[in-house]
Amino acid sequence: MNTKGATTSSAGGTDGGSDSSSSAKRNSKKPKYSRFTQQELPACKPILTPGWVITTFIFVGIIFIPIGLASLFASERVVEIVYRYDEGCIPTNYSDQKLAYIQNSTTNKTCTRSLIVPKQMKRPVYVYYQLDNFYQNHRRYVKSRSDKQLRSNASEGDTSSCDPEGVAPDKHPIVPCGLIAWSLFNDTYGFLVNNEALEVSKRNIAWKSDQEHKFGSDVYPKNFQSGGLIGGAKLNDTIPLSEQADLIVWMRTAAFPTFRKLYGKIEMDLEANENVTVVIQNNYNTYSFGGKKKLVLSTTSWIGGKNDFLGVAYLTVGGLCLFLAISFILVYVVKPRPLGDPSFLSWNRNPSGL
Amino acid sequence: MASKRPLLIPSPRTPNSQDLPSIPLYSDLVNPQSQSANFKSFSPMDSNGNNPIENSPIPPNSTTLYSASQRSISSILSANSGGNSVREVNFSDVGTKPVRYGSRGTESEAFSMSQKEINDEDARLIYINDPGKTNERFEFSGNSIKTAKYSILTFLPRNLFEQFHRVAYIYFLVIAILNQLPQLAVFGRGASILPLAFVLLVTAVKDAYEDFRRHRSDRIENNRLAWVLANDQFQQKKWKDIRVGEILKISANDTLPCDIVLLSTSDPTGVAYVQTINLDGESNLKTRYAKQETLSKLPEKEKITGLIKCEKPNRNIYGFQANMEIDGKRVSLGPSNIILRGCELKNTASAIGVAVYAGRETKAMLNNSGAPSKRSRLETRMNREIIYLSVFLIALCTVVSACAAVWLRRHRDELDYLPYYRKKDFSEGKEDSYNYYGWGMEIFFTFLMSVIVFQIMIPISLYISMELVRVGQAYFMIRDSRLYDEASNSKFQCRALNINEDLGQITYVFSDKTGTLTENKMEFQCASIWGVDYSGRKANLQGEQLGYSVQVDGQVLRPKMKVKVDPELLLLSRSGKDTQEGKHVHDFFLALAACNTIVPLVTDTSDPAVRLVDYQGESPDEQALAYAAAAYGFMLIERTSGHIIIDVQGERTRFNVLGLHEFDSDRKRMSVILGFPDKSVKVFVKGADTSMLSVIDKSLNLNIIRATEAHLQMYSTIGLRTLVIGMRELNSSEFEQWHFSFEAASTSLIGRAALLRKVASNIEKNLSILGASGIEDKLQQGVPEAIESLRMAGMKVWVLTGDKQETAISIGYSSKLLTSKMTQIIINSGSRESCRRSLEDAMVMSKKLMTVSGVTHDTGRSSGGAATLALIIDGTSLVYILDSELEEQLFQLASKCSVVLCCRVAPLQKAGIVALIKNRTDDMTLAIGDGANDVSMIQMADVGIGISGQEGRQAVMASDFAMGQFRFLVPLLLVHGHWNYQRMGYMILYNFYRNAVFVFVLFWYVLFTCFSLTTAITEWSSMLYSIIYTSLPTIVVGILDKDLSRRTLLNYPQLYGSGHRHESYNLKLFWVTMMDTVWQSAVIFFVPLFAYWKSPIDGSSIGDLWTLAVVILVNLHLAMDVMRWTWITHAAIWGSIIATCICVLVIDAIPSLPGYWAIFHIGKTRLFWLCLLGILIAGLIPRFVVKFLNQYYNPRDIHIAREAEKFGNLRELGGAEIEMNPILDPSRETTR
Repeated sequence: MNTKGATTSSAGGTDGGSDSSSSAKRNSKKPKYSRFTQQELPACKPILTPGWVITTFIFVGIIFIPIGLASLFASERVVEIVYRYDEGCIPTNYSDQKLAYIQNSTTNKTCTRSLIVPKQMKRPVYVYYQLDNFYQNHRRYVKSRSDKQLRSNASEGDTSSCDPEGVAPDKHPIVPCGLIAWSLFNDTYGFLVNNEALEVSKRNIAWKSDQEHKFGSDVYPKNFQSGGLIGGAKLNDTIPLSEQADLIVWMRTAAFPTFRKLYGKIEMDLEANENVTVVIQNNYNTYSFGGKKKLVLSTTSWIGGKNDFLGVAYLTVGGLCLFLAISFILVYVVKPRPLGDPSFLSWNRNPSGL
Repeated sequence: MASKRPLLIPSPRTPNSQDLPSIPLYSDLVNPQSQSANFKSFSPMDSNGNNPIENSPIPPNSTTLYSASQRSISSILSANSGGNSVREVNFSDVGTKPVRYGSRGTESEAFSMSQKEINDEDARLIYINDPGKTNERFEFSGNSIKTAKYSILTFLPRNLFEQFHRVAYIYFLVIAILNQLPQLAVFGRGASILPLAFVLLVTAVKDAYEDFRRHRSDRIENNRLAWVLANDQFQQKKWKDIRVGEILKISANDTLPCDIVLLSTSDPTGVAYVQTINLDGESNLKTRYAKQETLSKLPEKEKITGLIKCEKPNRNIYGFQANMEIDGKRVSLGPSNIILRGCELKNTASAIGVAVYAGRETKAMLNNSGAPSKRSRLETRMNREIIYLSVFLIALCTVVSACAAVWLRRHRDELDYLPYYRKKDFSEGKEDSYNYYGWGMEIFFTFLMSVIVFQIMIPISLYISMELVRVGQAYFMIRDSRLYDEASNSKFQCRALNINEDLGQITYVFSDKTGTLTENKMEFQCASIWGVDYSGRKANLQGEQLGYSVQVDGQVLRPKMKVKVDPELLLLSRSGKDTQEGKHVHDFFLALAACNTIVPLVTDTSDPAVRLVDYQGESPDEQALAYAAAAYGFMLIERTSGHIIIDVQGERTRFNVLGLHEFDSDRKRMSVILGFPDKSVKVFVKGADTSMLSVIDKSLNLNIIRATEAHLQMYSTIGLRTLVIGMRELNSSEFEQWHFSFEAASTSLIGRAALLRKVASNIEKNLSILGASGIEDKLQQGVPEAIESLRMAGMKVWVLTGDKQETAISIGYSSKLLTSKMTQIIINSGSRESCRRSLEDAMVMSKKLMTVSGVTHDTGRSSGGAATLALIIDGTSLVYILDSELEEQLFQLASKCSVVLCCRVAPLQKAGIVALIKNRTDDMTLAIGDGANDVSMIQMADVGIGISGQEGRQAVMASDFAMGQFRFLVPLLLVHGHWNYQRMGYMILYNFYRNAVFVFVLFWYVLFTCFSLTTAITEWSSMLYSIIYTSLPTIVVGILDKDLSRRTLLNYPQLYGSGHRHESYNLKLFWVTMMDTVWQSAVIFFVPLFAYWKSPIDGSSIGDLWTLAVVILVNLHLAMDVMRWTWITHAAIWGSIIATCICVLVIDAIPSLPGYWAIFHIGKTRLFWLCLLGILIAGLIPRFVVKFLNQYYNPRDIHIAREAEKFGNLRELGGAEIEMNPILDPSRETTR
């Protein structure tokens, strides 16, 4: 009837006193005790108390509002000159045929304008070109490059990912291949202040890491822009890719359809109300898709360029946090609930209630 | 009522009638001449057993009688055709056939089945001792077993094939394949395969390891040795080389290598005892018989030839149907003639048999499948949300492709030369369309590509994470020392791994009584003999500690179990038959000792002079009675098929067992016809009081009957199981008449069971009452407390028992299921009409009570002081109610009652009751039971729990979880169930959120890339996102997080209600989460967008910013919701963030990727860090505020309890304190 009972009763005597030691010997299946297996590891059990929450919000507010102010201030101090020239640089007689004008290699594309410096611009003054509505992040575009080819001479023929600009009509590989390189921006800017040419430095406009590791010093342009359709700038065949700063900058494809690319730096202060004459070679065709071209001169700050968004955002979040903190304090004063009050338990509330 | 339970257990002794041998071939046995001729051949053997009474009272045909009675024990009796029968459970067929729970239609089915012939096409032919011929035409399986699934060669294809049975993996695969098409290549080939490969690899390694272990155990099993007849002598042979048709010899204590049909045994009557513990876990011995035709054959001496025709291999371990042609005769074989693989031969020196099923065709192997897989409720609900997510996915893809369509249409004239599109390709010399397939196709491709990009909107990783989490949760449940049962040395077992969280939402608990609420250790407590109650003085016996013992051949025989005896009764029993009183006592105990199917086993002890008598039987009640009889000096010491030997007060007496009518659930009694040494013949009957009182001759001793009835009433009110014993002396004409009809019935071909039942009821009448016995079924430790906790937790506990009403009610009181405050509704009807009436009355009554108490009784959760209803219903009524239109009414009534007690229910009715609730409500059901009679219920319920106690392992085998004691249900449900539910619910929501945030970030960017599905986030980060960046924390939290401590949950069972209210996972939470997702993704995307608009930022750098922002944000989100920070949680969350940073750095340090060095450049700018900080704070503020407001002003019970836990005013929480009994109860330790 009870075979098991009998065996345990015989063993029970020895088992009772020294439970842990003898039961282990006796092939007991009893799980060994440890805080881990019993889920009793020491633990911190945070609870959202009003005190904690209010403190957190005040703390966030206190941190965020100064940061927001500082960013706004920094952004304000950035001096920025933006000049859109894609419309204005079309001669009036071509204003109906912009495409014909830009595609015609014989037309004079030089366009001179003068800009007034609104405030003093401390050096370095960064020169950007800004393209609008140019989807450098389009999938077809982004993929159309060969990083291997850019890196070393040995993989010159690696153009499989570069269609439709992989090989020249004579079947020789294009270096650098791909749509990105093909559509290299080719407007140029010259600056004159008081009829003195300003030097635009191209040093350090590209990432050092790109120059050293991504673009080979033994890779020279070949068959570039030799096909039937010219997309943009031509490259000097004698300069290795690692020295082609404009190309390297261009090849870092932009994240958004409205973007700036660094053109160069002016290592000189520009004084307020100074007249800067800009000589623009307006070569790049954005007219076919309604893209805008802008020239940007800008100083910089610790937060980057001129952008109020972050400051406003920080101020908003900080303000909101302070507001929440205050309203929580008010609500807490008006209608407190003692923590762990059993009268709020569902089985203690009256059945008709909540 | 003694043997009721065991007989409902499908056992070899009570086969279903469809299992009975096919009869027509058996016809020669009916012929009396040939029959007696047969029997003569072995009658000499019978006489060489020690026979103290040489001149047997029935000389002319004693052998015939023996054989008849033997057969009646063995196979013929059946319980289930006719009457108001409820079908027996055959546990392999639950779920495969439509199951009826009621009464209709069983009889005809059983009848037709009994006539079934084995068709030649359906049969397998086994030529005895001729394995060559046997296996010639058919490819019978060899005996080598292979539980391992794979070999080294087949591992890869088969494992992959099996893994791809999951829909999720197919989705994965289709996406990966789509991505391989050049037009659709969104990700690089490697990156797109990686997640799938990772998951497949992990699973494959796990499978390989498991398979390796199986290989090892297979090898051990296959190389075991067995004795096989070859060249006229038995030789040792490896198990794997045994073939069907070979003759095997099994020695005592050997394990059977395959299924064999017994030919002969060392016992002259052809009996073999086997232990089936490996098969069904029942430790008591079962008897198997060799056929008389083969008994005397010695395979070494004479060649046995014969043909066995048996059914095809099947998994019914209690059924076997075959016939054997031997010496030109056809003999039918039944389940009692076959021993199955895995059984052990016990108590029998040797047995010889022929292998009929081998290897994987053995019944043990065919049964070797796990529990049926269930799906958790949470997962089912989750699938609804998965459909929503799919709709989102399709919506996003549609938006993208529609926008792309518009864009392409508007720019169709520019596309040829657009620098960033360039439809025209000049490189081949002639103008060509580059990668453009027309407007329609482009849109279609865009759609497919967006599906690829947004694929993780459907959180495939969630399925894998959930499995891992469940494994982890199961680990902690198994290792929980509070679920370990010291007494049976059994740990908690998780047999089903996918319904852990269901434990947190149980509303209905269906419990078996015997063995589940009670210990199933029957103890004889008191007796009423001849109208005198012997109870009360459960005297502690000073000198009697050894109990009763007898001296035989210088050795002391002692019953294994000691029973407390009543000294007065002991004295009476010893006084002999001289007084009238003594005579009754004598008869009473003789009945207890004889009227049963107990097999006494004499075992040696360490002391050579002492041997123990161990009573093996299928019914614990019978065991208790036999031990009681032994304690009073009536020790059963030997049972063969023809006689029993009882030591009556030191004097060995042999009784011939002339006939035995086994218990069946219709008669509810059993009887034995004994031939006494003084040649008188008496019939002893024992059975349930109701059935016994109807067959007791009321004209005799009316006073005594009245007194006994009063005693019965008393016994059952104190919770004892009662049995009434009666007897009658048969005169010779009566005996002859009975004997003739018994013989005819037991050899009849059609409707044998019904005939036998008729014979039995003819003899079981006009009995004189001997007395009644009361057996205590002890309540398990901690049961009342456990039930109270479960009730407080809002669960409804239903007890389904086979006991009779009074016993059930008294157990109900002692287990605190019933309280005196409750109003009892008792339904106890004998016809459909009266059932309908009582149900209607009960409904009216319940309504009245409800209005009086004024409680809006929604689901009975308000366990307040209001009057609660208890419904008590018996099995007979259920027969009329289940499967009829009354079901609905019963359900209505039952859902108003907080307690339901069903008594006298058959196993299949239990399943029917569970189904009644399960099919009508959404509430989760849990069934807990320990015996084979609970199997159907366990499999029917949403969660099935087996008690791994005394009574076999069938319940455990069918269950999803198994544990040692009923009271463990409380920690299991209230603690682990609650945790698991809460964890899993949160984890699913979090995984939805986590993947959706990422997808939305990708989606926003697509709107700014001409809908061309560029991703700024590198493809490697996209792929690693759900594998490395964010997977570990959610798994760790899913395994380890605890909202409340064990103590609080146990002390306040009401907290379990959060599962009932679906607090951790519901549609509202899903939508709130999704809104939060949109907000967070918008913050992540648009803050950098505005901050870097019109700036020289490149795609890779801002992609890195987004990657880090997403990963840190989702991990912080998780961190915000973690309720219990252990070092593991810290390590997982912060570790994941660090791992992400490292991965991003590593990816950006690869020069061949476009994003080379981007993170190092952007990381140097302050704007980057300000963006990151701003994103994190702005993203989390709404959730934080809502969370706080919710917890503070609309607190759930859990929140309050957490606060109370932390700030220490637990005492004031209200509600009754319930101290759970500690697991180690000193009293329990000492008493055992």
